[in-house]
Amino acid sequence: MITIALPSKGRMKEDSAAIFERAGMKIVAVGNDRSYRGRVEGVDDIEIAFLSASEISRELGAGSVDFGVTGEDLVREGLADADARVEFCARLGFGHADVIVAVPDIWLDVETMADLGDVAAEFRTRHGRRLAIATKYWRLTQQFFSGSHGIQLYRIVESLGATEGAPAAGQADIIVDITSTGSTLRANHLKILSDGVILRSEACLVRARKPEHEGNPTVERIIAAVRAAL
Amino acid sequence: MPMTDMPDFAGDLLEEFAARRTARVDTPIIQPAEPFLDIAGEDLRRRIFLTESERGESLCLRPEFTIPVCRRHIDNHIGTPKRYAYLGQVFRQRREGGNEFYQAGIEDLGDKDAASADARAVADALACLEKIMPGTAFSVTMGDQAVFEAVVAALGLPAGWQKRLIRAFGQTEQLEAMIARLAKPAPVAGLDDHLESLLAAGDDAALTAHIEAEMERTGYLTNASRSPAEIVRRLKEKRLLAGASLDAEKLAVLKEFLSLNVSLRYAPGVLADFAKAANLPLNAAITGFDARVAAFANAGVPLGEVTWRAAFGRPLDYYTGLVFEVTARGGHDVLAGGGRYDRMLTLLGAESHIPAVGFSLWLDRIEKGRAS
Repeated sequence: MITIALPSKGRMKEDSAAIFERAGMKIVAVGNDRSYRGRVEGVDDIEIAFLSASEISRELGAGSVDFGVTGEDLVREGLADADARVEFCARLGFGHADVIVAVPDIWLDVETMADLGDVAAEFRTRHGRRLAIATKYWRLTQQFFSGSHGIQLYRIVESLGATEGAPAAGQADIIVDITSTGSTLRANHLKILSDGVILRSEACLVRARKPEHEGNPTVERIIAAVRAAL
Repeated sequence: MPMTDMPDFAGDLLEEFAARRTARVDTPIIQPAEPFLDIAGEDLRRRIFLTESERGESLCLRPEFTIPVCRRHIDNHIGTPKRYAYLGQVFRQRREGGNEFYQAGIEDLGDKDAASADARAVADALACLEKIMPGTAFSVTMGDQAVFEAVVAALGLPAGWQKRLIRAFGQTEQLEAMIARLAKPAPVAGLDDHLESLLAAGDDAALTAHIEAEMERTGYLTNASRSPAEIVRRLKEKRLLAGASLDAEKLAVLKEFLSLNVSLRYAPGVLADFAKAANLPLNAAITGFDARVAAFANAGVPLGEVTWRAAFGRPLDYYTGLVFEVTARGGHDVLAGGGRYDRMLTLLGAESHIPAVGFSLWLDRIEKGRAS
């Protein structure tokens, strides 16, 4: 039995269902419409689990589901060594969101990550504390700042909602957040650094890497059918 | 219950610490996480074990000893100079080896004679290793940020570029990217015409007023983060950075310096020849470097076993001079690592400047080395 985890609500749920239907796998709920279990019409060896997007990334990491449809950002944020543990089989063309570094518009001197590195290095001397970044993306922020740009000295301030308001409110200096159109950023007088796109994320069909998938025809059929439906 | 997992050579090591006139200290295993993240950076977060107290205070299992030993020193208002030794468990999330293991080491606080304190740290580390791994031949690799800083200053780059290069010291990729960028001036995104004209006219007051008004209009707290004056200052600095480049000859000099990798026995001569050939005024740095080499010899460190690698550094702002690592000759495992961290005690809240140098021994790797 192969388990596919799909988003349990909203646009993501509808868009996933549409792709699977185009792929010849019409999803039907087991029991009533609000049920958290489903199956593929006419297929016996696939079951569907409806979960929230962040649960899907966690269950993929744990290997308790075989496939999942969720945002790349959630998978890369939720799992260390994501590429070793899961395979991104297909990019599905919906749920677009960029994970970006944004600073106040009025920081006229900061356009690039190198500028931000300069500001971060002197922050402690000038302000008696490290540069504070509001985000819910701990891992992506660390990888991007420490790994890709050699910026070590900053502090993350956890922000679970309305992150873009943190700089104006004085809770943090800058943010790392997702944006799709940029309008929320503009409304909060923030700008994206020219090299500040950490990840261009969208919904993906993701497979948990499991040895038993090797040579399993159902696994191959699912991947091929979804790819063909794009 | 006896501590059965304590390495069986721990007693020998403690004896050696005592013979080297250190005071043994212990620190709680559960530590406030804040100082570690603040000093060593957020990257540490994924490598330590974090938890929270009921009141929401962020706590961690002791990931290393230097910060707790220094904090204890500051909190207890202890005078300097002071030599501390520690031996105990540390906890880190590691790819290789266990998550809990023993570390031991010496922190030497407040000795104003940097050369001799540096030499003593290396000599202490080697003596401790020789005591617990008798018959093993060791190799020491050392670097010196002070020499790199002097080279960068002598090349005549704007202060902002010097700071960038120094910050990247020890991170090969970042440093190479910066050197590549320095090969040619890079244009910067322009501001709007009005601001450009104020910048060109050097009208700082009008620029500051503009930024202040904008902050007011957009609801930013002008006192919560960077001030208008700070933004203007850096805007001007940035224009200098953008225009800066190094000619091919100077770039070659910088690259040549970073490639120096010689036995400490020949290092003073090599450094002097380099300065002369490149025509760089490095006298002060060379004097400091030579004084340290002499101090190494005085402290009984065999210069032939030490390699000076000019590009060797650690990219954290509290390291200021010497860094070193000890391996078994031909081996890859770092058995001891240390360096000078003159800025750390001030960062941790010490009221006066306290120079500091120290090292720690990786007892799990040493145990493995003893077994093989």
